[in-house]
Amino acid sequence: MEQNVLLQLSHISKRFKTDLALVDISMSLHPGEVLGFLGPSGAGKTTTIKIITGQLRQTSGEARILGTDSTNIDASIYEKIGVVSDNSGIYEKMTVWQNLVMFAQIWGVSNARVEEVLRQVGLAKHRKKQAGKLSKGQTQRLVLARAVLHKPKILFLDEPTSGLDPATAVEIHKMLLDLKAEGMAIFLTTHNMEEATKLCDNVALLHKGEIVEFGSPQELCLKYNTNKRYQVLLDGNEELVLEQNPENIDKIAGWMRKNQVQRIHSCEPTLESVFLQVTGKALSA
Amino acid sequence: MGNTTGYMNKLFAVARIKWTCIIRNASIMVGPILTVGMVWMYKVLYGSMVDGELPPILTGIILSLGISMNICMDGFMMVGMAIAEEKEKHTLRVLMTSSVTGAQYFVGSILFPFVITVAVNFVVLLISQVSIEYVSIPAFFLISVTASLISCVLGMIVGICASNQMNASLIAYPLLMVFMMIPILGNMSEAVRKVSGFLFTGVLTEMTDCFANETRYVVKPLDVAVLVGELIISVLVFLILYKKNGYEKD
Repeated sequence: MEQNVLLQLSHISKRFKTDLALVDISMSLHPGEVLGFLGPSGAGKTTTIKIITGQLRQTSGEARILGTDSTNIDASIYEKIGVVSDNSGIYEKMTVWQNLVMFAQIWGVSNARVEEVLRQVGLAKHRKKQAGKLSKGQTQRLVLARAVLHKPKILFLDEPTSGLDPATAVEIHKMLLDLKAEGMAIFLTTHNMEEATKLCDNVALLHKGEIVEFGSPQELCLKYNTNKRYQVLLDGNEELVLEQNPENIDKIAGWMRKNQVQRIHSCEPTLESVFLQVTGKALSA
Repeated sequence: MGNTTGYMNKLFAVARIKWTCIIRNASIMVGPILTVGMVWMYKVLYGSMVDGELPPILTGIILSLGISMNICMDGFMMVGMAIAEEKEKHTLRVLMTSSVTGAQYFVGSILFPFVITVAVNFVVLLISQVSIEYVSIPAFFLISVTASLISCVLGMIVGICASNQMNASLIAYPLLMVFMMIPILGNMSEAVRKVSGFLFTGVLTEMTDCFANETRYVVKPLDVAVLVGELIISVLVFLILYKKNGYEKD
């Protein structure tokens, strides 16, 4: 195994009775890297996380996490990884502080670290609040705080901003980027292409259990930018979308020479449209 | 040494979580309070009917009712409902992906319910007005501890099978009726009494009947076989279910 690889999947397949949930999945994750698994519901994202974290066994292939085969891992692996799923619960009748301190005891983490994480996620002033009374965004921040309390090497996030309002999602994104800057590797599953574009170094587009494309969001968007077009806003608020051809290049150059262009943008595809192009299906389906 | 400390820390963290959840769940905590309250209330009401000292038959009924209720409703329901609540609130998976082992979760889950069940048994014995000179404390302690343990393991079985608290009640009540009502009804029918002798709760109530009737209780080989056998069976059933799906089916 290549050095510095925290996670390595080699030809993983998973079959549930007659249904093939994952087909020949291979990829690796390094420190400080955010890897996104992008796909609609039922594409196999959660199944992948469950296989890697030893909650489910693959039908074939090998998954190595922190150098250990995932079929041989025991509960101690969770001292080095953090897991957040879209339905990770909290102890609603306990306070925010108690919710973290209980897990700090499990991981042998000091109360000073609990304080630090509480401040990091902006919940320090809510420490005495009953967790069940937190807003959805605050709850998700608490879940994330709990997952990073023991400074895991890899953080698994299954749809971390699902159902959150845009402002809270932005807060969560900022937290994740801070964690990445600290060197934490993040394995993120999402069907939110904006989130993936913003956070991920690499994304795997998953369709019916198969990786249909892999690369950085920019690479993928440029790779599928085959029909190059430009959106131009001219004086008088005239907006045009022009394909790249010699005639339109001359037109645009002429407008620019006459200083008639107010705004010009290239129209490369988004990850959403790349996914649609590759699979014929929308991500949000 | 460090490993042992870490192991115990995790176990006590689970026990602490369970304790905090249990004492804040009114539907679970009503069990021990109701048991002690009912025994006390029966003692007072029957006492007022017979002008003071209760006849042994009434003391026996009160004692067996209290002990059976405690063993079934407290240990049994406390453990089962607490696991079901964790499944309902999606905290069980969080706990099981935090490096807590199945064994730590098992012991941590039954620790406080077990202690409470044993303690309530002693409280019921004390307030039932049974004559202490006829009570064999070592026998009562051993049988009470074993029966409480079986009850907690049965609670784990209920918890492992249930998907939520409502479901846990549905699974638990038929079992509860068998283990609680047969020993109580044993006072009224000889046939039921014979069946009761093969239940761990029956062994317990037979012992308390002896205390109430002011006769010396001697542990019989059948009683030991029933208690040990049912403890082994319940642990085996739990292990089979745990091996199949863990604490929570995917």
